[in-house]
Amino acid sequence: MPYQIDNRPADARESLYFPEIFRAIGLVVKTFWRNAFFSRDANPDILERDRSMNRVTTLQYPEEKAPYPAGYRGLHRLVPRPDGSPRCVACYMCATACPAQCIYIEAAEVEGDPIEKYPKQFVIDELRCVVCGFCVEACPKDAIRMDTGEHPAPTYAREGQIYDVKRLLRGPPVSYEKDPWLVRPSRLTEAALKADRAAARPFGTQGQDEYSQTPGFSVRELAAEARARGEAGK
Amino acid sequence: MKRFVGMWLVIGAVLVGLVGLFAAFYALAALGARAAVALGVPGFFGSSIVNAITLMAVTLMTVAALLTVAERKWSAAMQDRIGANRILVLGKFPLGGVPYLLADALKMLTKESIYPAARSKFLFELAPVLAFSPTFALFAVVPVGPEVRALGQTVGMWVANPDAGLLWIFALAGLSVYGTTLAGWASNSRVGMLGAVRASAQMISYEVSLGLSLVGVMIAYKTVNLQQMAIAQGAEVLGPVPALGLLLQPLGFLVFFTSSFAETKRAPFDLPEGESEIVGYFLEYSGMKFGLLFLAEFVEVVILGAVTAAVFLGGWHPIFFEGWLKANLDPLLFGAVCAASFLAKVILLTWLQLVIRWLLPRFRYDQIQGLCWKLLLPGAILNVFVTGAAVLVDPSLQTLAWIGVAEIVAIFGITLAVSKPKAAHGGHDHGDAHGHAAHAAGH
Repeated sequence: MPYQIDNRPADARESLYFPEIFRAIGLVVKTFWRNAFFSRDANPDILERDRSMNRVTTLQYPEEKAPYPAGYRGLHRLVPRPDGSPRCVACYMCATACPAQCIYIEAAEVEGDPIEKYPKQFVIDELRCVVCGFCVEACPKDAIRMDTGEHPAPTYAREGQIYDVKRLLRGPPVSYEKDPWLVRPSRLTEAALKADRAAARPFGTQGQDEYSQTPGFSVRELAAEARARGEAGK
Repeated sequence: MKRFVGMWLVIGAVLVGLVGLFAAFYALAALGARAAVALGVPGFFGSSIVNAITLMAVTLMTVAALLTVAERKWSAAMQDRIGANRILVLGKFPLGGVPYLLADALKMLTKESIYPAARSKFLFELAPVLAFSPTFALFAVVPVGPEVRALGQTVGMWVANPDAGLLWIFALAGLSVYGTTLAGWASNSRVGMLGAVRASAQMISYEVSLGLSLVGVMIAYKTVNLQQMAIAQGAEVLGPVPALGLLLQPLGFLVFFTSSFAETKRAPFDLPEGESEIVGYFLEYSGMKFGLLFLAEFVEVVILGAVTAAVFLGGWHPIFFEGWLKANLDPLLFGAVCAASFLAKVILLTWLQLVIRWLLPRFRYDQIQGLCWKLLLPGAILNVFVTGAAVLVDPSLQTLAWIGVAEIVAIFGITLAVSKPKAAHGGHDHGDAHGHAAHAAGH
C-alpha cells in the first residue's frame, strides 16, 4: 500500500481551517521563491538536472532536445565520398528491400568509367517511409544511413516531405580501403585518389551498431549456425 | 546565481521606477492644482482630475493588466513550470512574458462578439459596464500618497477624499453584484443564470462579514475616512511600533481579507464561474464584453490589495526609516517614496492573493456559506465587541495593541502546533479502526 490515508475526522485545530492554510501558504511561497529566484538547470537529460533550488523539469522543446538513444533510426542521409559525390552506386538494393516502396532511384552511367553507375536521382518519400531501416541493412556500399538523429522537419505541403539527392546527401564523408573506385582504375585524378586512400579505413568486420553489440546476440553466429545446419542437411 | 542577482535588480529597479513615477504624478497633480487656481476654482479640483487619470486610468489599469501576465508567470513558478515565454521580442528576449499583455489585448479587441438570440438586448450590453465601473470607481477613495507641498500647491495623491470613505467602498462593492447578476440573467441561459444566482448569493453573504470586519478598525481609528485612517496608522503605539491595522486588528484583517477575497469571485471562491461544472455568468459573452468582465476581476484584485494596504498595512507609510526620510528628503520626493511604498504593498498583497488562488481548490457551496456564516461572521462580531471594550477602557489604543499582539501570537502558535502523526498501533500498518480493534483485543 503506497499511501496511508488517515481518514479520521478533523481535530479542533484543523476545523479552524486557517492554521492549515497558513502552513500551505508557507509551502507555496517556498516553491515560488525557489523557482522565481534561482535559475533553471537546462540539462536536456532531465533526470540529471540539479533540482536543489529550481525545480522546473520543463524541456523547452525546439531549443532543448532530449538525446535519442544510440541506434535511433532517424532521417535518412546519403553518405558522401570525400569528394562530395554520393557513395551510392544505384544498385536498387534499398529500393527492392523497401517494404513501403518509398525509394525511387534513377541510375546513370559515370562518364568516362566503363563500370560505375551513380544515382541521377534518388528520392525518398518520407511520408511513405515506415522507418524500418531495411534500406540501411540492404545497402552493400554503406551509402544510406539513418544516423542523423533527427526526424523529417514538419512542412505545410506534402511536397516538402519528398527528399531528393540534394537534401539527402549530407553528413561526414566515409571511405573504405576496399571501395572499388579506390582499388581499380577510375576517373579520379591521381592526387584525389591518394587523398581518398589515405582517409580510407578498413571495412569493419565487427558491427558497430547497438543491435550487433547486444550481449548474447550475434548475426554472425546465427549465420554460422544456419550454414552448419545446411551443410548437415546435404 | 545570475538569475538571483537579476531578480533583485529587477525588484530594485521597479521600486526606484515607482518612486520616479510618483514624483512625476505629484508634479502633474501640482500643475493641475495651479491650473485650477488660475481658473478661479479650488486647487484640489485640478489635482483630482489629474489624479483620476494618473492613478485610475494609468496605474490601476496597468497593474490590473499586468496581473494577467503575473497570473501566468507566478502560477508557473508556484507549480514548477516556466510559464508563457513564446513571444520573443527581437527574436530573443521573452521579457518575463510581458508582451503577452499586448497579444491578449489585441485578441480581446478583435474577436467576434457573438450574441445569443434570446438575450435581453439592453441589459446584455449594460451588464459588463455595470460589473466593471463600480469596481473601477472604488479606487477613487484610496489614498495612495500623503498630502505634500509641491510647486507652491498642497496636493494629495488621491482622486477623492470624502469623509465617508469606507462607506463609499461598501456601497460600490455592493453595487458590483448587479453586473454579475444581470450578465447571467440577460444572456437568457440556464447555466449563466445559475452562475449569476450563485454569485449574488455568495456576494451578499460575504458583504455582511466584510462590513462587520471593518467596524473594529473604525472604532480603533475613530474615523471612516481612509486618509485619516492612513495618518492614524503612523502614530506610535507600542514603543517605536506604529499603530498598524494589522497589529490592532489581526482578526479583523483575516475576516476582511477572506471576505473581500470572496467578493472578487476568484478561486477558491470561484463558484459563480466554476469552470469544470458551469462556465458561469459570463458564459454567453465573447470578445471585449467578456474582456471587460474578465478585467473587472483583476481590477477587483488590485482594489482589494489597495484597500487592505490602506486600512491594515499602514497605508502610504513606508514604516521603516520614515522619520529620517521625512527629515532629509524634499517634500515631493518624500511623497513619492510614500506612494511607491503603498504601491509596493499593493503588489505584495495581489501576489499573496495569487498564491492563495493557486493554492486552494474550490469550496463546495455549503462550505462557502458555512465559512461565511459560521466562522467569519462570529469572528467579526467578536472582534467588534473586543475592540469596543478595549477602546472604551483605554482610548490610547495600548490595550488594543496588546490584545492584537496576543492574537498574532495565538495564530502563530496554533499554526505551528502541528499534531504529530499518530504512532501505528503495535507497529501494524492497519487502518485506524482496525488498529483500535487490535489494541482493544490486546487488553
